[in-house]
Order: sequence, then structure tokens, then C-alpha cells
Amino acid sequence: MRRANSLPMSDAPFVFAKRTSASLMWSTAAALLPALAWGIYCFGLASALPVAASIAGALAGETLASGIRRRFTLWDGSAALTGLLVGMAMPPGISPLIPAASSFFATSVVKGAFGGLGSNWMNPALAGIAFALVDWPAQMGAWTVPGRLTGLAALSGATPLAFARTHAAASSATGGVGILAAGGASFSSLDASVTDALNKGLFSRAGAVLPGGYIDLLLGNKSGAIGEVSAILILAASIVIISRKMIRWQVPAWIVGTFSLLTWTFGGLRLGEGLFAGDVLFALLTGSILIVAFFMATDPVTSPSSSLGIALYGIGTGLLIFLLRNFGSSAEGSAFAVILMNCAVPAIDRLGSRVSARRLEAPAAAEGGRDAAR
Amino acid sequence: MRSFRTFRQGGIRVEASIEWEPSGPVKNAFLPNGAIILLKQHSGRPARCVVKRGEYVCEGMVIGRGEGPLSANIHASVPGVVRDIRLASLPEGGQAEAVVIALEGSFERLGRRPERYLWKSMGRNELLSTLRDRGVVDTVAPGNPLFDLLGERRDIGLLVVNAVECEPYLRAESCLLRDKGPEVMEGLAIVQKILSPKRTVLATSASDGEDLPSLAASHEDGAEVEIARLEPRSPQDLPNQLLEALTGSRRRPEGGMVIIRPTSLFAAFEAIVLAKPMMERFVSVCGGALKRPAVLKARIGTPIGDLIEECGGFLGPPARLVLDGALRGYSVHDLDAPITKTTAAVMALSSEEIGPRLRSPCIRCGRCAEVCPERLKPELLYRHIKRGSIDVAAELGLGECTACGSCGYICPSRLPLVSAFSCAASKSRSALASTRDGSGWR
Repeated sequence: MRRANSLPMSDAPFVFAKRTSASLMWSTAAALLPALAWGIYCFGLASALPVAASIAGALAGETLASGIRRRFTLWDGSAALTGLLVGMAMPPGISPLIPAASSFFATSVVKGAFGGLGSNWMNPALAGIAFALVDWPAQMGAWTVPGRLTGLAALSGATPLAFARTHAAASSATGGVGILAAGGASFSSLDASVTDALNKGLFSRAGAVLPGGYIDLLLGNKSGAIGEVSAILILAASIVIISRKMIRWQVPAWIVGTFSLLTWTFGGLRLGEGLFAGDVLFALLTGSILIVAFFMATDPVTSPSSSLGIALYGIGTGLLIFLLRNFGSSAEGSAFAVILMNCAVPAIDRLGSRVSARRLEAPAAAEGGRDAAR
Repeated sequence: MRSFRTFRQGGIRVEASIEWEPSGPVKNAFLPNGAIILLKQHSGRPARCVVKRGEYVCEGMVIGRGEGPLSANIHASVPGVVRDIRLASLPEGGQAEAVVIALEGSFERLGRRPERYLWKSMGRNELLSTLRDRGVVDTVAPGNPLFDLLGERRDIGLLVVNAVECEPYLRAESCLLRDKGPEVMEGLAIVQKILSPKRTVLATSASDGEDLPSLAASHEDGAEVEIARLEPRSPQDLPNQLLEALTGSRRRPEGGMVIIRPTSLFAAFEAIVLAKPMMERFVSVCGGALKRPAVLKARIGTPIGDLIEECGGFLGPPARLVLDGALRGYSVHDLDAPITKTTAAVMALSSEEIGPRLRSPCIRCGRCAEVCPERLKPELLYRHIKRGSIDVAAELGLGECTACGSCGYICPSRLPLVSAFSCAASKSRSALASTRDGSGWR
């Protein structure tokens, strides 16, 4: 059976790896769904509304921007992911208009105006979050307490991180969890029993005692943003995306490493624990550092590509998060820290490629000619 | 699990969507009714046509005479009448004259018991000139004639028989080694006599060649042959990567290195021992859109449509017809494209295999840099080329790109990286040639 027509032609290669940019975006979004589901479970079905509004806003912004460029780009999943990340960073009771507007701004202005996916210099999701934080500071600081499990009701609507910060000076207790307890927080019975079991079974052998409260912080039985309360589910999602090589693990490693080191060294000074005694666990389990480090700072478009660049970027981000959290005007500085580092990426990249170019020259010169092997 | 030697940096492992192992001995393909014999199947200038339309040619007769360095003689692969001499397009681009022969008349070789020529008394120059007369070229693109490839050097440091096939479906070399091992080894002995290498290595993919050690041991004619099993990781078959896998570094061995394919050795064997010009080759006829993939021994000039028909035709409409390989090959638009001396494979790829070509913007994920075996940053090069600054790309190492296809394979945005690089490299080369003396390039 000979076919006399002509077939389409193209250039090599003719086969491709299965993963596409779109599948990368969609599966990152999918990895975040358990954390979001936990948030909706804790805060009630109504808290799904801001997230839905955020995604709708992001898609609308993308449609507008891609419509102007006459290219349909909704399928690539990047706008939906942006919307999801912005929505997850919202306080549960917030008016849906705020996340919708923020996401719309993120995809239409921050991403679309610069040429769409791949051309933006700032992470759109972070820009959307920052937009909301700057424009609606009161609403963005109004936290509701999870209605279901919870004993952290006494914190009067602040997140554990913000509460520890504002009450550090007045409280006689030290350390994040200590201040929470002294401030009148009672932890859940689940927390008490797990902590007790761990202390008896594990820590007693090392002569250490785990104070109550950490398990609640880890599981997400606390006030916080809709999708960010459960540290353990965020960590699980990050394990998924790292093991499937969807992000460069070096980025969060540098960020979390730098931040932990600084917190351990200096963080204790502020919460009354002293030098080299900062509570790293408390610092990591509260606030949005985990989701920012694993899901937003790792956005390949707005992070450096060389390994030296990644190290600089990660260290810088970790440092800025630490500084903004401890000395900034609000307790939450992760978003702004990454945005600041996004601005520095072009410079970091140029430095990184210059260094690696120099490293390349040496072996090439030793070979003596490029067609040595021919 | 045993670990296999391989190169250090980058590389990809291409998964075939269909597992395929050729079964049984390799069959001769049917003779084509009309053979289309290109007069350029080698790296140099096209051969000069020495037949006229309407002339009767016998099997193995010279129809094109090689002109100058890197040009090779072309022989009639079938007996018959010259129907036409016309321009035909080359798979790698461009056009060249082709002689169309309609099958007719009697065979002089087929069915006869071949006489074996005792070549051991022949000298080096005699061997080389015989290889030149019989039009033997290296069977990988661009097809350097063995006369030029082997003639310039002597007492080389390393001779590599490159039987590595790291792309899906390519099986011609391993089938040849399996079926014609002793002949290939005799071809190797001839090449060893010409080059007198210090070290000879037979490099194969880890997956094949269980009986190779005994084959190498039976090789009494020439010097000792080492067997190296290499990981089937692309681009393991390129010179830099072979050298790195075999010697641990990219430093050129003292006296130089020659890499040669088993199919080339077999052609050398036939030319010297059986006094047969190069007019056949082993071809993998494969791909997901094909009914019965197989390795066939086909006459040079057989239209690919004939081979596809012999393999049962298409299962469904093919999305691409590809020659040589899915990573580094060429696509052709019709079934009349002929087999040349360097055609390793004919592939009919289904649309599932090539996947949707959804090009999207670069998201700078950095995978291309991870897989680049030459330590380049394809993403950066591509950005500069798109911007029109080819000179910047050249400074960043564009010239080192071997077009191995790794970055193009892995890119999640399906960017046309490889074609952009080859296109820009040829532009920058011609710019170089016009401003300075560009003779340093190959």
C-alpha cells in the first residue's frame, strides 16, 4: 500500500520525553490539593470560595492577556497554578473579591504584560499575594481560627507566628510555643497524646522533652492561610515534586538551610531564648515559609539556572525571610523576600554563567582542538 | 546489577514505546524494480555520472566516478537500463543527481559461490586503493570514504568499532554482528592491517552481544580486540562520548583515534575479500506505524516505500517518515526517498510516538543544560540565537554542539533547539569563512 501523497516534515529529534511544560504545571497544582483540602476541612466549605474566586480571577487575567496577544494559553496550566497559590495564601474568611482581584492582577499585569509564561521576571503568584497584602492589609490580617479541632482559639485571630512576635516582649515565657501557651492557648488533645507518646518512646532516651504544641503546628491545627496551615501536607507535596524532579531541590534546600541556621543562631534573641538557641522548628512550622520555599521560589522562570546562582538566590532568600520576619513590619515576610530576590535573578544569572564559562575553558584548552576525537 | 561504562556529563535514556527485537537471521530485501541511486552518498563532492540514459548497466558497474578528496565511486546496485538521470533531494537537505535504473537482465553475482580473495599478501596501499575503487564509505553520516578515513593515518592509538546503538529501534549494527560476526572480524583485520592500531576496542550497548567475547577470541587474523559494554544512553555513539567512556577522559589518544561502524567493516570485507563494490547495506526498518519491523539487507537505491511494503506496510497513517534515527535523523516526505550508503534506518513513526507538538514558551527549567553532554546551556544559546546574536551564542560554545538531540528530546516546551543550533552554527561558520580563513573547521 503505497501512499503517493506527501507527509509533513520536521527537524530532529522526532521523539520526546513525556513531560511537557503544561503537565509540569498541572501536576504541581495537583500536588497542592491535599493541603488545600485540609484547609477547607478545617475552616469549613465557605473557605473554598476565596480559592475558587482566585482561580477564576487568574484565568480571567490570563484570558485577557492572551487574548490581546491572540494566543490561547489557558491549557498550559500556569494561570490555574497561579490562582491556586494565591488562593491558598488567603485568610479563610476573606471576601472573594480580594483574591480574585489579586490573581487577576498577577496573571494579566505581572505575567501577561511582560509577554506571558516564561517572560515574567517576578513570580506572578507572589506578586498577587503581595498585591493583596499591600492593598488590603486589614483583611489580610484577619485570621479565623479553625472551627473543628482546635484549641488555639485564645489567640484572638492572630496566626501563631504573629502572636509569638507581638507578645514576645510582654510574656515571661520563652520560645514560640511557650509564648503561645502563656498567652492562653490550649493545644488539642491529639497534640497532647502524640507529644506524650513521642516523649515517652523516643525523646526520653535522649534525655529531651518535646513541649506541647508542635504537633498542632505540624498538622495544621492552627489559624493561618487556607492552604498553608498544614505543614505536613505541604511537606508531603514537596516530597512528591522533588522526587519526580519537577523542581530543583537545591532552591528550597538553600532557603530553608540559611533560614534555619540564622534562626537557630539569632532567632532566639527576640523570643527570649538567647544566642544559639533559636526555635527552628517553630519558625519553620509557622508562617508560609514552606510553601514559599518549595512552590514559589522554585518557579523556574524566575529563579537562576546555574548551581552557583541557585546557591546565591537561596541564601539571599533565606536571609531576607529571616530579616523581614524578625525586623519587618509584619510577621510574614516570605513573599516579599522572594520577590526581592526575583529582582536580583538577572544579575545572579549573569554572574553564574560567567563563572561556569570560565570553568569550561580550562578542559577545552587542554584538549587541543575541538575535533580531537574525529 | 553490573555497571556499564559510560560518559560523564548529561545524556538521556530514550524509552521506546514499542519493544522490538528482530528475530531470525537478516533477510535480503527484494530487489527494487527501480533503483534510485544518488551520486552523492559521501561527504565530498558528488560523483561524476559516467552512464547515459538508455544505457545497459551490469550489477556492480561504476556509474559515478568519485572526484577529488572525500568523494567516492558509486556503483549500480542492480543490473538494468538507465531510465533517467535527474535531480533528487538529499535527506539532509539540498539536491544531487541520481541515476534511476530499471531492473532488467541477468545477475552476475547472485547465486554464485563467492570466491575468497586472499588479501593477506596485499600491502597497505593496495588495500586502500581497492577500498577506493569499490566505493566503500563509512556508514554513518556524512559518509567519509574509508580511503580518506584510514589513508591519512598510521600507527594510531585507538581503533574503536562502534556497535553502540543507543536510540530506540536501531538494530542494524547489532544484527550484523550477530549474523555476520566472522565477516565483520575479517573486515576489522583488514582495517587493523591498514592502521596498525595500538589498541582496538569493540564497543557495544549493554543490552546486546552476549557471544561477543568468543567472537573476539576467534579473531586470529589481527591484533587483540577488547570488548567494552557501554550503557545504552544517548549520545553514547558520538566520538567525544565514546572516548570518555573508553579512556575516562576526552584527551585524544596518542597517534589519534579512528571510529568505525561494523557495517563499514562488513563493506570493507566484501570489497576486499569478495571483490564486491559497496552496493548493499543493513537497514532497520522500524517504527510504531509499521506492521512487521525488521532488519533487512537492502540494495543501495531501493526506495524506502519498497522496504516498508516488504515489512507489511503501515498499521495506520504514519505521522513522520524518518531516516537514520529518531534523535538525529531526517524526515522525508515521500516513499521514493532511496536508501544510501549511510541510511541506518527507515522509520515510520506513529503520531503517538512523536506526540503532540505543543510548542510553548521556555520556562527556563534547566533540563536542557542537565542533559547536554557538552556542558552547554541550550536555553541560553537559544535565547541569543532567537534574538539574532549568533556571535554571542558562538562565544558561549555553539560550535561545540554535536546536534546529539538530547536537549530537544527533554525540553518540556518542545522548543526546536537542535534545528536552531545547527542552522545558527552553519550561519556562523559561513560568516567566519567569509571574514577569516575558516579552514580550521573540519
